[in-house]
Amino acid sequence: MKFLLAVGSKEFSNDTLDIGSKIAQAFDANLSIVYVGSKPKDLYLNRVKLAQENLEKWEIYHPGVEVLKWAFKKLRDSKFIEINDLNDFNPNNMLETSGGYKMILPSSYGQKIDLILREGDLIEELRDECKKENYTIGIIGGSKKRNKSNDILQFLPTSIFITNNFKINKKYRILLCVDDSKGTELAIKFSIIIAKKMNLEITIITVSKIKKFKNGYKNAAKNAGKLLEKEKINFKQEFVFGDPVSSFVKYGKDNHIIIMGDSSKSIIKKFFFGSKPLNTLKRTNAPILIVRNK
Amino acid sequence: MLENIIYWSKQKKWLLLSLLFSGLLLLFPTPHGLEISGYRIIVIVILFILLILFEPIPLPATGMLIIVLQVLFGIASPNEVASSFMSDSVFFIMGSLMLAIAIISQGLDSRLALAIINVTGHKTWKISFGFILFCALLSSFIGEHTVTAMMMPVGITLIRNTNANPKKNKKLSLLLLFSIAYGSAIGSIGTPSGGGRNVIMIGYLSQFGIAEVTYLEWMKYAYPILILQIPLTVIVLWTTFKPEKMILDSAVIKLKTKVSQSGKLSNKQVLAILIFIFIFFGWIFFSSTLGLGIISLIGVILYLSFGLIEWRDLNKNTNWGVIILFGAAISIGFQMKETGAAFWLANNFIEWVNSFSTNINFSYSLISVIFTSSLTNFLSNAATIAVLGPIVINIGGDSLILPMITALSSAFGYLTIVASPSYMIIYSSGLVKSSDFLKGGWKMMIMSIILLLLFSNIIWPLFL
Repeated sequence: MKFLLAVGSKEFSNDTLDIGSKIAQAFDANLSIVYVGSKPKDLYLNRVKLAQENLEKWEIYHPGVEVLKWAFKKLRDSKFIEINDLNDFNPNNMLETSGGYKMILPSSYGQKIDLILREGDLIEELRDECKKENYTIGIIGGSKKRNKSNDILQFLPTSIFITNNFKINKKYRILLCVDDSKGTELAIKFSIIIAKKMNLEITIITVSKIKKFKNGYKNAAKNAGKLLEKEKINFKQEFVFGDPVSSFVKYGKDNHIIIMGDSSKSIIKKFFFGSKPLNTLKRTNAPILIVRNK
Repeated sequence: MLENIIYWSKQKKWLLLSLLFSGLLLLFPTPHGLEISGYRIIVIVILFILLILFEPIPLPATGMLIIVLQVLFGIASPNEVASSFMSDSVFFIMGSLMLAIAIISQGLDSRLALAIINVTGHKTWKISFGFILFCALLSSFIGEHTVTAMMMPVGITLIRNTNANPKKNKKLSLLLLFSIAYGSAIGSIGTPSGGGRNVIMIGYLSQFGIAEVTYLEWMKYAYPILILQIPLTVIVLWTTFKPEKMILDSAVIKLKTKVSQSGKLSNKQVLAILIFIFIFFGWIFFSSTLGLGIISLIGVILYLSFGLIEWRDLNKNTNWGVIILFGAAISIGFQMKETGAAFWLANNFIEWVNSFSTNINFSYSLISVIFTSSLTNFLSNAATIAVLGPIVINIGGDSLILPMITALSSAFGYLTIVASPSYMIIYSSGLVKSSDFLKGGWKMMIMSIILLLLFSNIIWPLFL
């Protein structure tokens, strides 16, 4: 497994890096930390690069390198990266690749860590990165621009974890949203792994729009309960009538990590009419993981 | 597959909208007094502006599209388009981009730092003044982005020496970085070699048979304005970004220690300076016969021949896309003249101004300055001149004043990072936000516009 974690700045990506690295550890996954900076206009690109190369001679590096250096130090301090001479951050070790610059660090506790610097449109660059490497989950801090979150979910070919307002010292539960969609099964598996690693309790929620639960919904909820019992995870179950998105947002508040499967609607329907995950993502303030079957 | 199509459509919406809009314009009847080829070239200009503005496709692709459309729309034959594509102005843009690479790679920035600090001392306002003065004077000869690239390490080192976290000295950072960027920008008007746009305008004036503007003649128009802008820029920046620290004692000492380690000027550095002085005199004395572009290329050949720069470095760092783009832009300018589109637009503009103004010449200058400096904020200065040049030359008649006003005011786009490569360079440091450009930019814009109008309406007619 390989996870992609996007960082923006020291101020705003601190908690994203905390939770992202913990989740990567939970899955024993390789982790790529990517910084996507704004790209100068084509008209000036070479001239800006020339200026940046000149700055490097004075050991003044691209702002993205500074952010990656901070991320490296933070991961090393939290013992996610092993401390040894080989595992040091050296900007000169960043190699130019087709999409940007990459520093490959020696393995840490079995996990491979890459530090990646890219420039351009966030969605385009993350999409390109995801196409090159087969990432399982993309972890990102969330955007104040709702359209951006929308595009992230719509166009990144991975499961998406939007950390929103996650705080590392806050006590969370997992809100596992269960229905008869294909993504639910994988969402349950992911919830189990995260709950066990982070020692979290789970609330399984099943919401029906009509005054009766379809068999598919009931079976999915029952199956989820059984699996959690088997894994000895504390959980409770909620069956709710009403609008699913409003219920997920209401139950999730800001003290749950919402985990749900991706919608099985066609891409056209999702683009024009949205979907449960997309609308939940737009409205919630809680961290949310949308699991996509590849 | 479907997802890729939706994604592509979303990413390329500006391309689709630009093409759709231009396509719709072509369906309208040709305006009275304009030939069909003239109307089509105006539509191509609009498409060109939209594609530069939104950059939905790479700029070289925009350049090539513009060339192809001229042939497809029957505006000119392939050979005519090809010959209008290459000119001395394009040689100059190519040569100046390469000269910048050659000069920057010599490591002269530390010398520059030492020279400035030795003159200015430790007081922050004096350092800001020194930055503006040096950048303005140097950029008037070697181009603004070259100077900005060389001065950036000096500025950032001073900022970091003052505080490891530059965000704690936000105003100091802004003061020093804008001193470099705006200093370079105001300097770029001083001589033709200060910016590609100056040479584009000189090229148009020559092509349109208005005048052969020499290097020194340009300086007579522009240099006094440049000199006056220096103290005014110091005042504008100081009042806008009054820094947290008035004296940079330890920061300057640390910088001096750092740069003094580089020892004496090497033979290569001396040679690099001598070659540039040689080019400079070439521009002054031979540009009317050899052309500014050819002289720049002589300089590049000398740098390569003396081993001061490797071809692979020039090849890697030269933005060939920019050369294609400006070749295409100049080619449209030429076709605007040939098809009568420039004349038609100019006449309409004149009629419009006559309808409300009694002081025609002042109105022309005022509208031209405001329009050019505003457009520069969105389009970049060279592209603005490539598009507006042929029109203002027709409006101005035989006079040099309006084309000069337009060329100089294309340096007044102080409000956005798009207006100049220098602004993009300081923005890329991460220490400046795009909103910071608005804080002092509007004052700079008003100051520069007033100064230019004073010169163009009162001083130029007296002395030139």
